[in-house]
Amino acid sequence: MKMWIYIIRRLLLLIPVIIGVMTITFVITSTLTPIDKIESAYGCGKGGCTPTVPCNESNPTGPQCPNELYIHYYDALGLNQPIVVQWGNYMERALTLQWGMTDANSYASTELLGHSSIPVATVLSWYLPYTLELAALSLLLILLLAVPIGNYSAVYRNRPVDQGARLMSFSGFALPGFLLATLLLLGAASLFSFLPVTCGGAYIPFDHFYGSWPPSGCGVPSWVGTYDQSSPTGFPIIDALLHGQYSLALDVFVRLIIPAITIAYGATASILRFVRNSMLEVMNLDFVRTARAKGVPESQVVRRHAGRNSLNVTITILGLTFAGFIGGFAIIETVFDLHGVGLLLVDAILPSLDYGLIFGTTLLFTIIVVVANIIVDILYAFLDPRVRLG
Amino acid sequence: MASAKPSIAGAAPAGRRPNPQLAQFKRTFYFLSRNTLAMIGLAIVFLFVFVAVWGVFYSAPNAALVSYCGTTSSNGQQNFSSVAATCPGVTLCTYPITSAPIANCYPVYQQAPSQIAPTWDLAHFSAGPLPFGSLTVTPGLPYFYNPFEGLIKGAQWSLGIAAGIVLAGSFIGIVFGCVSGYFGGVVDEVMMRLTDIFLSIPGFLLVLVIIATIGYTIQSLDGKILVMMGAFILTWWPGYTRIVRGQVLVTREQKYIEASKASGARPGRIIWRHILPNSLYPVFVQVSLDVGSIPLALGGIAFLGFHIWPTQYFPEWGTIAALATNDLSEQLLVCTGGTCVFPWWQILFPGLTLFLFAISVSFLSDGLRDALDPRLRR
Repeated sequence: MKMWIYIIRRLLLLIPVIIGVMTITFVITSTLTPIDKIESAYGCGKGGCTPTVPCNESNPTGPQCPNELYIHYYDALGLNQPIVVQWGNYMERALTLQWGMTDANSYASTELLGHSSIPVATVLSWYLPYTLELAALSLLLILLLAVPIGNYSAVYRNRPVDQGARLMSFSGFALPGFLLATLLLLGAASLFSFLPVTCGGAYIPFDHFYGSWPPSGCGVPSWVGTYDQSSPTGFPIIDALLHGQYSLALDVFVRLIIPAITIAYGATASILRFVRNSMLEVMNLDFVRTARAKGVPESQVVRRHAGRNSLNVTITILGLTFAGFIGGFAIIETVFDLHGVGLLLVDAILPSLDYGLIFGTTLLFTIIVVVANIIVDILYAFLDPRVRLG
Repeated sequence: MASAKPSIAGAAPAGRRPNPQLAQFKRTFYFLSRNTLAMIGLAIVFLFVFVAVWGVFYSAPNAALVSYCGTTSSNGQQNFSSVAATCPGVTLCTYPITSAPIANCYPVYQQAPSQIAPTWDLAHFSAGPLPFGSLTVTPGLPYFYNPFEGLIKGAQWSLGIAAGIVLAGSFIGIVFGCVSGYFGGVVDEVMMRLTDIFLSIPGFLLVLVIIATIGYTIQSLDGKILVMMGAFILTWWPGYTRIVRGQVLVTREQKYIEASKASGARPGRIIWRHILPNSLYPVFVQVSLDVGSIPLALGGIAFLGFHIWPTQYFPEWGTIAALATNDLSEQLLVCTGGTCVFPWWQILFPGLTLFLFAISVSFLSDGLRDALDPRLRR
């Protein structure tokens, strides 16, 4: 089978998954009250969230009349229609990126968006690049850790290297992410406490490792918007490089290192065992014996003949565990105050609920997982011809 | 199943075949017992289970949930007396954090965090020593919490919730996986697309969203816990379904299934008597691993500040560890100058409990995998 046929077939399988995921969020949404639904779709700024308004505006406690705007929104959302029609409406809005408005009075909006009601899709487009940068760095670290450690623990089976890898694997699973993240943050802050902190005279704790940008006293550049939306690409490191501010780019990058290490440590733990075991299997196959027999040096055998296999395994397991991997971002971004989608979700849920943001972020995270799985499948087919030929 | 099983109690009577399932169990345990790490894991898990059972009958001298010389009323409301009062058996005192610590005195920070310049320098903190089970101090708040008693009282909650979620999830997974794998065709296709859908939603986020939307509308403790468990089950059953289905696909091609079909057994009997017992082993491995990760996930939820419990200081392992972690960074910010107590015991014991439980179940799970899979034995 040709590669592109495989890709198209794989993309077609995506359609039921996307419909299903949206149906699940629709089912959760349908437990909300009509007022909450209207608020999450249109925001309350224009006063459409109350079913009734005073008939005479000068007399707020007087007789109440139906609110025209409320009725308009109610009809526009199809809330008086059968549930199937509501489902259709929801799907249409979700697919056309009409993901509703943020709630101007919610905690997330107050903290991050300056009390304004903004379309959820727009807000997410500001926050997504930050999460993607963190994810990219973590993935890079995972590949750099899992492949060589897995290979060497298979080659030196039951030797100290292998035992160390096993310990790392088990402890990575058993250490709670929030604990590891906090301890690493404290440790780094304590270790580098000699670094100067002078930002407009204000003292900011954990300055060098906390937050996505230097604190405001340190002078955030003009091309970073009010809500930290960076331009032109949206990716802070790339933007800083584009504007020629290399030290700022380095600063922003350093802020990502400890979060990425925390994420990579937990994720590598679940991958290492699989890499090791598959490597052990491959080392017993005929072609490895042939390579050794014809005199290829052992390091070459491990790296080029058997080792290529462990990249496949790493990518496959990563694809299977990607949903769990990306779910951990909510905690890590909260600990390090990183300006990502996970922080947005947590802030949207916590002291007060912002339903528009909650469902928007959930949908976005799910789309990330689905897209990542597609990429993994295609990569896998590319790396292992048996998949697309078989 | 209905036939008499005389061999369970002891040696099989002469002329009877020994019970094959018991023999299998003995064989598995034999292989497991040769794995030192797995046996250590098993011992620690048994210890925790014992603590959980004991904790039900254990009444803490000053209850798991204590306040600063205050009382905890039945609804969890905490009432406080004046700050200078002392609790029986524990010396509590207030002193300015710039002065030297007094022996057996636990500092109470009266200043609000905003009034004190923050620091990150660990050199300001002495490492104790403070007795095991010292009270936890939350800066700015007159709450006290004994982590030792909290952990004992928390065992039943953590283990109970974890066991409930994993058992329900694996039950659904076994049923769906058997049906899907055995019948194949359209049923299988629909089931697998369904698991695809659930596996694409990040599980932890789905739990957060369900707690936020449905859980917050429910007031009772039992209701909240049920919603949370339901959310976890919803995210975990697809994994089990996949595992069971994969195993069933292998099992149903075996000769003995064919023989059973040829002798006219109905599908229900084939699944129950032949396929199910031979497809369960990977589930055991996964279940033993997952039990350890639930308290970690609960800790994550509590760390983010979700109120799934009636009070903030509810005894549950993950919650205790999460609160201690939150308080730790807060206290490091608060304390500056003079000698401050670095509250290592607050974070060490809850963290160690979570870590020990999770790592011992993963040892056990690894050992089980080796013992149950003939290819990995030796």
